[in-house]
Amino acid sequence: MTDQLPDAIVAGPKGPALDLLHIVQINEEIKSVVAVAFKINIMALNAIFLAKRAGTAALGFGVLSNELRSFSSQLRETMLSLNALIHASVDGVSAMLQDSRYNDILERAVVLASKNKHLQEVIEQRENATDQFRSKLSGLRRALRSSVDDAYRLVELGGVLAKSAKIEAAYGAGFSSSLSQVSGEFDGIVEEIRTSLDTLRKSSFFRG
Amino acid sequence: MKTTQTIFQDGDHKWLAIVRDPAKADFLIDTNEYLITHGGQGMLLDPGGLEIFPAVFSAVATEFDPSAISAIFASHQDPDVISSLALWLEFNPQLRCHVSWMWSGFIPHFGGVASTFAPIPDEGMTISLAGLSLQAVPAHYLHSSGNHNLYDRTAKMFFSGDIGAALLPADQQGLFVKDFSTHIRHAEGFHRRWMGSNEAKHQWCSRVSQLDIDMLCPQHGAIYQGEDVQRFINWFDSLQVGVLRA
Repeated sequence: MTDQLPDAIVAGPKGPALDLLHIVQINEEIKSVVAVAFKINIMALNAIFLAKRAGTAALGFGVLSNELRSFSSQLRETMLSLNALIHASVDGVSAMLQDSRYNDILERAVVLASKNKHLQEVIEQRENATDQFRSKLSGLRRALRSSVDDAYRLVELGGVLAKSAKIEAAYGAGFSSSLSQVSGEFDGIVEEIRTSLDTLRKSSFFRG
Repeated sequence: MKTTQTIFQDGDHKWLAIVRDPAKADFLIDTNEYLITHGGQGMLLDPGGLEIFPAVFSAVATEFDPSAISAIFASHQDPDVISSLALWLEFNPQLRCHVSWMWSGFIPHFGGVASTFAPIPDEGMTISLAGLSLQAVPAHYLHSSGNHNLYDRTAKMFFSGDIGAALLPADQQGLFVKDFSTHIRHAEGFHRRWMGSNEAKHQWCSRVSQLDIDMLCPQHGAIYQGEDVQRFINWFDSLQVGVLRA
């Protein structure tokens, strides 16, 4: 027995195993965005109360706070639909991983029993099944990428709302300082989500 | 690649032993697989783990059409016994897997559909292979809690699963036991530790002593033949099992 690790372990995951790793990373990023989206909802609710207290001086801020609350709801919905796609993709990639494992073992059998006709037939049937898995996964990749892009566009809109809230905060008279602090927090959080989504868009999973 | 050796033949009724792969990684326990053929059909006994599927498949294919394997007999649920099930099903999706009822809900985790599994009751049962009657013989707690051996009365061949197993050194890899007293030293530690019940062991020895057996074929190690069969049963009967140290 040797203590040396096999090449496959040293080289790290590849193929479907690498896809699975990427998709797990995407899922973690989405979970963090969903948590942040929930935070915006609470912040927007507090901002609405603050604007009410500020009265006519913060009317514009109040309107924007309502919009930000609506934005956070839309963002959560988008992220939940992304979650459904992620789960379907994890299913697809896991099936590919098992398929690829079996194919590897059958390929090893071919090396040892190259003339077995039935083995070739089984491998051909499996290749067809593999093509179907691959095609389904390809569709899921596209749908996921498209949903991430939709979420990104939504977050750009959220960014505009947060910046407008910052401007409106300046007209908040005696509440200006509190409103500026809240709108600054909005802006920071939206920026955080934008960075997360940007990372998602660059995931190697979409290049597979 | 493993080699295939015919250990019994009477017309198209055969027992093939699929054994000893020099290319096998050391960290995998060595296993013996057996193929019974009769009337153009085959039954594979303890087909082995996923990792050794290529070696077993290629060895079987040298002697028999793998797509004609209509049944698998799994003595119990261990991965070295049956984790290759999904790949054998690729060659014959109608293949039946005979296994203790206890494991018929566990082994599907390796593959198969509901109709794949033919549960064996605790008391054993007769299994037919193209008209050849084979008897599933209870061997519970030796070592698995749901465990069967397979007896071919016509051929006087007995597949004993883990019972009779020996962990042989590299320089003693013969297919048959040549010198019982030397061989049994490699079986002692295995039986003391893996076999969990002295009572079950006594019952098994009493049951199997009544059968007419020419060869006792374990899943690991070498095959006992002739007088070594009863010699093994007597040795096993007097061995204290279910202990951590000898």
